[in-house]
Amino acid sequence: MTDLMTKALGRNVLAADTATSVGKVKAFVVDQPPRTITAIHVAGRKRSPELVDWSAVTGFGPDAVMVDTETSLREAEADREEQMARHRVELLGSKILDTLGYERGEVADVGFDPETGAIDHVITGDGQTVPVAAIRALGSYALVIEA
Amino acid sequence: MSTLLRASEVSGLPVVSIADGEDVAEIRDVVFDGGSHELLGFTLNKRGFFRGKMKDRLDASGITAIGPAAVMIADDDELVERGAVAAPLAKPDSGRSVIGVTVMTEAGVELGEIADVVLLSAGVPRAVGYQLTGPKLEGRSGDEVFIPISAQMAISGEALVLPANAQEFVRNDLAGFGAAVADFDMQQKGTQQ
Repeated sequence: MTDLMTKALGRNVLAADTATSVGKVKAFVVDQPPRTITAIHVAGRKRSPELVDWSAVTGFGPDAVMVDTETSLREAEADREEQMARHRVELLGSKILDTLGYERGEVADVGFDPETGAIDHVITGDGQTVPVAAIRALGSYALVIEA
Repeated sequence: MSTLLRASEVSGLPVVSIADGEDVAEIRDVVFDGGSHELLGFTLNKRGFFRGKMKDRLDASGITAIGPAAVMIADDDELVERGAVAAPLAKPDSGRSVIGVTVMTEAGVELGEIADVVLLSAGVPRAVGYQLTGPKLEGRSGDEVFIPISAQMAISGEALVLPANAQEFVRNDLAGFGAAVADFDMQQKGTQQ
């Protein structure tokens, strides 16, 4: 089963232990090269971005994202997390370049496994699917894929 | 996939690291050794708001590919400090530019002058031809004529002399020129054996 990042944006995030809303999905933090979602940027309570590690997500459901407890929310730590939480490095909307220097559109959507957070594929603006294995890197300038 | 492109089209392209997807520099100028018809590398500008010259250079051998949207390198280690590269690339001499050099045939007919250098962009890029302009060429094409580079061509700051057989490989479109370069390469290799 695959979920799509564009559909997950704005989804409610609930703390399972208190059954209270802690915010909404605002962005995704991924590793480098992008293979897995490592954290979710949860927006709504504070001005500075709050992140929750994927390991604290108990269920990424179609109606809500459940996290174990409210205290799992934390500030961005690493430089890259901060860049992704601030949308300076972001998969969705990123320009796509291949290793031969050709532009291949932009990232329209990203398919991922809601059980594991594993990224499965990227969908380009003109509807083409790029498998995750072809992804080389994500930076502030572009997502680089195999030619 | 290989592509031919004019050296002048490369100026201004971002230099993008495949390792991290960052635009680490921008191509300022092509550094070309006219004497050996060889692409040496590129001088660079900084990217972003604080533009300006960069001290680092990009050697042609450090390039993974040149495409219409970007010059791709493996990672930013390929940007080498000016002090660590060979003199022609560290301090390009604009007086040695081949642009504007007169093109003569071995028979003594002036064909025009060099307008641009044609690069083959697959893998490590190399110079494979010259684009010419000149009044005598206009009957052929309009404004663009391409000739393949060969080791037999003598070049100075004054003139480029084409061997007699080069003329049959002259093309007036860059797309058709790719095949002409391949044919010409083959023929050159054949005559050397």
